[in-house]
Amino acid sequence: MIFFVILLVLVFLAQIVELFIPPLEWMYNAHIYIVPVIVFYGAMALPFPLMLALSFFAGLLLDVLTMQVIGARVEITLGWSILIYAVLASIMHGLRPLFIRGRWEIHCIMSGVCTSLILLAQYLMITFRRGSILFTPEAWWQIGGPGVIAMIMAPLLFWLLHTIGNATGNPFLPERDSY
Amino acid sequence: MSRSSIVALLIFAAILGYFLSFGPDATRKLQAGFYQLISPFLTTGSGLEKQITSVRTGLKSLEELERDNASLRVENRALRATNQALRDVEHEVNRFRTALGYRERSIFKLVPAEIITRDASTWWRTVTINRGKQDGIEGDMAVVTEEGLVGKTTTVSDTISVVLLVSDENCRVAANVEGSREQGIVTGERVAGAVTPMLDLNFLSKQANLQPGQKVYTSGVGGVFPTGLLIGAVREYRVRELDGQARLAPAVDLVKLEDVFVVTGRK
Repeated sequence: MIFFVILLVLVFLAQIVELFIPPLEWMYNAHIYIVPVIVFYGAMALPFPLMLALSFFAGLLLDVLTMQVIGARVEITLGWSILIYAVLASIMHGLRPLFIRGRWEIHCIMSGVCTSLILLAQYLMITFRRGSILFTPEAWWQIGGPGVIAMIMAPLLFWLLHTIGNATGNPFLPERDSY
Repeated sequence: MSRSSIVALLIFAAILGYFLSFGPDATRKLQAGFYQLISPFLTTGSGLEKQITSVRTGLKSLEELERDNASLRVENRALRATNQALRDVEHEVNRFRTALGYRERSIFKLVPAEIITRDASTWWRTVTINRGKQDGIEGDMAVVTEEGLVGKTTTVSDTISVVLLVSDENCRVAANVEGSREQGIVTGERVAGAVTPMLDLNFLSKQANLQPGQKVYTSGVGGVFPTGLLIGAVREYRVRELDGQARLAPAVDLVKLEDVFVVTGRK
């Protein structure tokens, strides 16, 4: 439970930090996303109910900080990011047995893929909302770039979070024998 | 699936359904409330960001000092540090002087504001400013600098407001072109890959034949943006199947924006 609270705090802080990280000019203004990596780690390290709570918190933060309310319409309704996070985190949760056995490679790659999927889902929603399908190379860079960065960041972040998990006695270690 | 997981899933679905049913007003209130809640973090973060930038500038001076001889190094470092600090102060004084001058000259009632965060997400061009309801700011107020139009306010909390930049596709501004009777709607790009975003001026007549450099101003139609604010200058004009379209370079450097004014009315 302590580890879960730590993850909640880290998600909150990472979300605030993300607001101050400038986009990467050399990658067509792609943004750096830290929160998804933390959430996807949580998806593997936490039991299902806590994983849902973490996804809910991260999705709510993302929605509240980024959604656009223009006049009488909201571009992406409050709740969609929660749903996207929950679906993707559930997929990552499915890979939990492998993670508990100490295999992290697939999860690092999947963290990147899922980060890009969040952006793709958002882009598809605003594309349908605004009425014209437009996929430029810049759009692909802004969807794929953060995923690649998340993939690169994931091993270090996973290691840090795993260390914190061990230090706080997160009970995922005793489950190792059952897989 | 265990019983606790099913219960968690049901609770999750119920709360999610509740949030998905929120209308624009409830959403705006929730967003404003949340921004108010995290405003200390945003203000602290903004201050830290400025300090880090300042330290980075200082480190560059230190690198240059490596080339000097050993006896002068300490003295040189001190002098450079003082100089850098004075330059920062001078830059700040100039910024405020320009801002104050513009505020006094302007025909609008202006509330000065500082940018706290920018480009919070990939798909929306927004910034947050350190002014809110307490300063008389409301939603749908024009935001400008002495150079021209920046955007409009959307969500407003007590001390923080979200500004939708003119470079966002959702920010539509009725505009007219200098030296012609052409009118159109300015919008931003959906995906801006370049460092400096460009704007599109749509719904022009096919005979408009705009020339590069022609200035584009707000026409005042729609009521949000007052008339006569400079939006940008024409870069190129092209004829489409049904209308004409011009690409504009924004008058304001939206990437390096530091201080803005919110138009709260006329003097």
